[in-house]
Amino acid sequence: MASTGKAVRPRVAVAKFASCDGCQLTLLDLEDKLLEIVTRFDIVEFPEATSRHSPGPYDVVFVEGSISAPEHLDQIKALRKQARVLVTIGACATAGGIQAMRNWADHDAYRAAIYEHPEWVESLAMATAVSDHVKVDAELRGCPIDGGQLLELLTSVLVGRRPQIREEVVCRECKRKGIVCIVVASGEACMGPVTSSGCNALCPTYGRGCYGCFGPRIGANAKSWSAGLMRSGRPPEEVWRLFAGFTGYAEPFRSVLTELGKAKG
Amino acid sequence: MITNPVPSPAAVARQWFLAHSDLDDLIQALRKAGRIVIGPTVRDGAIVNDEIQSAADLPAGVRDEQTAGRYRLAERSDERVFGYTVGPTPWKRFTFPPILPIATAHVSGSFGFEQPKIVAPQLAFLGVRACEIAALGMQDRVFLGSPFTDEDFRARRKAALIVAVQCTTCSSTCFCSSMGTGPEVRSGYDILLTEIDEGFVVQAGSPAGAAIVAHLPTRRPTHAETGAAVDVVEAVRTQIGEPLPIAGIDQRLKRQLDNPRWSVVAERCVECGNCTMSCPTCFCTSVTERSDMEGRTSVTERQWDSCFDVNFARVAGGDFRARPRDRYRQWLTHKFSTWMDQFGSFGCVGCGRCITWCPVQIDVREELQAIAPVIQPIERPVAVEPVAASPGRYSLARLASVKEETEDTTTLSLTDLDPAFLGGRPGQFVMVALPAFPAVPISISRFRSNGIDLTIRAVGPTSTALVNLHPGAKVGVRGPLGTFWPIEDAYGRHAVVVAGGVGLSPLHGLVEALVANRDRFESVSLYYGSRTPEDQLFRDDLVAWSAGKSIDVAVTVDRAGPEWKGRVGVVTTLFDMMSCDCSRITAFVVGPERMMQASVQSLISKGVPPERINVSMERHMECGIGLCGHCQTGPYFVCKDGPVFRLSELGDLYVREGI
Ligand SMILES: Cc1cc2nc3c(=O)[nH]c(=O)nc-3n(C[C@H](O)[C@H](O)[C@H](O)COP(=O)(O)OP(=O)(O)OC[C@H]3O[C@@H](n4cnc5c(N)ncnc54)[C@H](O)[C@@H]3O)c2cc1C
Ligand code: SF4
Ligand code: SF4
Ligand code: SF4
Ligand code: SF4
Ligand code: SF4
Ligand code: FES
Repeated sequence: MASTGKAVRPRVAVAKFASCDGCQLTLLDLEDKLLEIVTRFDIVEFPEATSRHSPGPYDVVFVEGSISAPEHLDQIKALRKQARVLVTIGACATAGGIQAMRNWADHDAYRAAIYEHPEWVESLAMATAVSDHVKVDAELRGCPIDGGQLLELLTSVLVGRRPQIREEVVCRECKRKGIVCIVVASGEACMGPVTSSGCNALCPTYGRGCYGCFGPRIGANAKSWSAGLMRSGRPPEEVWRLFAGFTGYAEPFRSVLTELGKAKG
Repeated sequence: MITNPVPSPAAVARQWFLAHSDLDDLIQALRKAGRIVIGPTVRDGAIVNDEIQSAADLPAGVRDEQTAGRYRLAERSDERVFGYTVGPTPWKRFTFPPILPIATAHVSGSFGFEQPKIVAPQLAFLGVRACEIAALGMQDRVFLGSPFTDEDFRARRKAALIVAVQCTTCSSTCFCSSMGTGPEVRSGYDILLTEIDEGFVVQAGSPAGAAIVAHLPTRRPTHAETGAAVDVVEAVRTQIGEPLPIAGIDQRLKRQLDNPRWSVVAERCVECGNCTMSCPTCFCTSVTERSDMEGRTSVTERQWDSCFDVNFARVAGGDFRARPRDRYRQWLTHKFSTWMDQFGSFGCVGCGRCITWCPVQIDVREELQAIAPVIQPIERPVAVEPVAASPGRYSLARLASVKEETEDTTTLSLTDLDPAFLGGRPGQFVMVALPAFPAVPISISRFRSNGIDLTIRAVGPTSTALVNLHPGAKVGVRGPLGTFWPIEDAYGRHAVVVAGGVGLSPLHGLVEALVANRDRFESVSLYYGSRTPEDQLFRDDLVAWSAGKSIDVAVTVDRAGPEWKGRVGVVTTLFDMMSCDCSRITAFVVGPERMMQASVQSLISKGVPPERINVSMERHMECGIGLCGHCQTGPYFVCKDGPVFRLSELGDLYVREGI
């Protein structure tokens, strides 16, 4: 329980690597709670909202983005030393994100296709999750992350309890909401059975298949699900695209993609 | 505890008729009585149960098609309103909400926990089927049947009026008749509707139901109408088909906790838990705390959870059901076995939701049949009366010739035998004795017109003494003993013989019989593995069988010199060559214990039914006729109940250690 007597506010920093800033914006989107958050926390480093920089150590560091450029390697290690609790936020930081698509491709060709002057762009051949480089204390998944989960994480820091963030399968939330399963009733593709919950089954709620943006759930049987998707008549290329989305570089999606890669040549 | 009301015979006899066009009057009467009506309505490609305002919301002229992992709507040729079966919404959604705040706590000035006031809306459930009434009854026992009750459930259950509907059609996934819950609604309703061409035959099962019916523009039904109402339900029972052999499955499952099939199904199961979420009886939940940022006020929320969740059985020290197969086993054994111990009934009503809504098409009925089939009492053609059937008595035979098969294995051809031996069948064995040596069991490897062959590996004193005999020598024999290969089980099917090492000896006579009757079988294949090329038995026969082309012969060795051009690897590696529909295989397997287990496991995973897998068990035998007790394995005396068994007879005795 936080004591109101002590006015020491936890120091929070937000750091950014290769990402779109969408996840940081989730914090700003918590409009009605924002005032309470800034009174209870000392937010010292937040590229989206302030240009104020202040040195560590920090109580909590939120890290957004994947490790994609050579200078990121040292930066993330330095940051870890300054952080009591390091939390990665979003698909990029937790799984490599959409940038990790290039991990299967010819990196130079990819770069040449995207940038007018590829020679000006310095990047690593692989985009990887922060946890591949330093110890991570907690993860908030999603692309972007869920505001409710972010609030719960901040709350748990203040209260001193384990964050009440259930790591379930998306199907569980989908079923609790009473959504008609689109796989069974319409033959749509959905990544729900292998994806971690947190979005409250956002996509199936709107009649779309889950894209897997929260990444593989613990124990995901990706192998059986990719076989299931193919059994329903989908060619390997399509199943590849489903798994390669936001979090394809995280296991066990990665293994399935490697297998599918062999299948489609 | 609430019990499903059982209507009196007089009430059942009292029937009304309500025209299709007047069905809306029923809905409005329920609404006027202050109830929210929850009933079937089409949403997102399915018939769900949701709030309805009028009869216009009902799925008139719509039907559903359900198979494992698939649900589709289609048009009916008529305008029936209830011409479908159970959809994705179990009624527990309204008696046992998926998310429910169960406590609040606060720390400001005072400190305390409070329970929210129970608010149970007055509901009417329209279109409840027989299986679903049974499911409500099962949850009654779970939540209200012990001293610790769920008062929220009690309030919601009490506040719901049940308008049941007789099923007039079924889906391929329905198996209520197997579980004894349907298709006929017999009790547990306030109002019961049976839809016939012109409208509904209506019955009231409680005073509350009768009070509503009294407001409706009904008339007395004709005899034709009441007769039609009885017939439709009977027709559904016929449409569902033969019930499954469910009786005793709770006990049978308990004996199958190590069945390899658990791993097979767990490889396929994606552990989405959709079966448990859709199941109308599953009751598991977890709680989550929500609080303000200071933790001064917090709410405890209970939500539906599932034993398929990876964290469901976790404690600080680890996870009690760490492997997917443990979790699949928990689900299936809870529904069909341990629920019986806990609540005195099965935990399944046979609604088939877990089958339809499983995204990888797992069908509990198939899993139950495969994991815990009814063990048919062994019925086999009667074997010939054995000769000298008492311990210590032997009939004499003369050794006609000797043929060395391998360095340590020799075939002895016996002749001048009691003719009864010639009536034996492949798979049977004899007890062979030499003076001063303990008798040993040896399979008959061939039946000749004037005698039998024994193929013996010298592994110890008796076997060595036997292989060292010269033609003309006398031996004592007792037999033929035990069960034999049920060759008839392979008629019209693919006969597959799997042999390892000297295991080909008890199979040799079988292969000869298969070749002799080749056109009775769809195909015949022999898969044979030995340690080295030099260890192969019956080499001349192998060559002749391959050359004859009427059967497929595939051989492999564990290791070989450079001159070996064939396959290297264990015998199961040959199974990739099986190209037929494996459910139509009848297999015969003998070899070293480890090889047999691996082969059997692989055959099962390919879909060969366990009752079509025959194995011969080797056990220590002294008498060979069920008197000395040496060979006992579980309930069986291997010498007289075996040595040939169908795998389905053995169940998990087969793979369990130390039996
Ligand atoms: C139904 C059946 C059919 C068999 N068919 C054949 C066959 O066709 N060809 C063949 O070579 N062998 C066969 N055997 C195995 C054979 O019975 C043993 O190898 C033999 O008994 C060894 O006896 P021994 O005195 O030569 O060796 P021992 O030195 O006594 O024993 C050597 C090994 O054989 C086992 N053994 C010993 N006595 C018995 C016994 N009474 N029953 C079972 N195992 C025993 C021992 O445990 C030990 O592992 C069969 C066994 C059974 C149960
Ligand atoms: S729609 Fe997707 S998330 Fe929902 S139950 Fe079906 S598979 Fe699971
Ligand atoms: S059996 Fe089917 S529905 Fe149940 S958890 Fe496994 S995959 Fe999901
Ligand atoms: S186990 Fe399956 S068939 Fe049985 S009641 Fe549950 S959902 Fe229905
Ligand atoms: S099958 Fe699983 S989820 Fe259903 S009641 Fe049993 S333990 Fe709970
Ligand atoms: S299981 Fe039986 S009672 Fe239930 S919907 Fe099917 S036929 Fe009707
Ligand atoms: S060998 Fe004696 S009882 Fe079976």
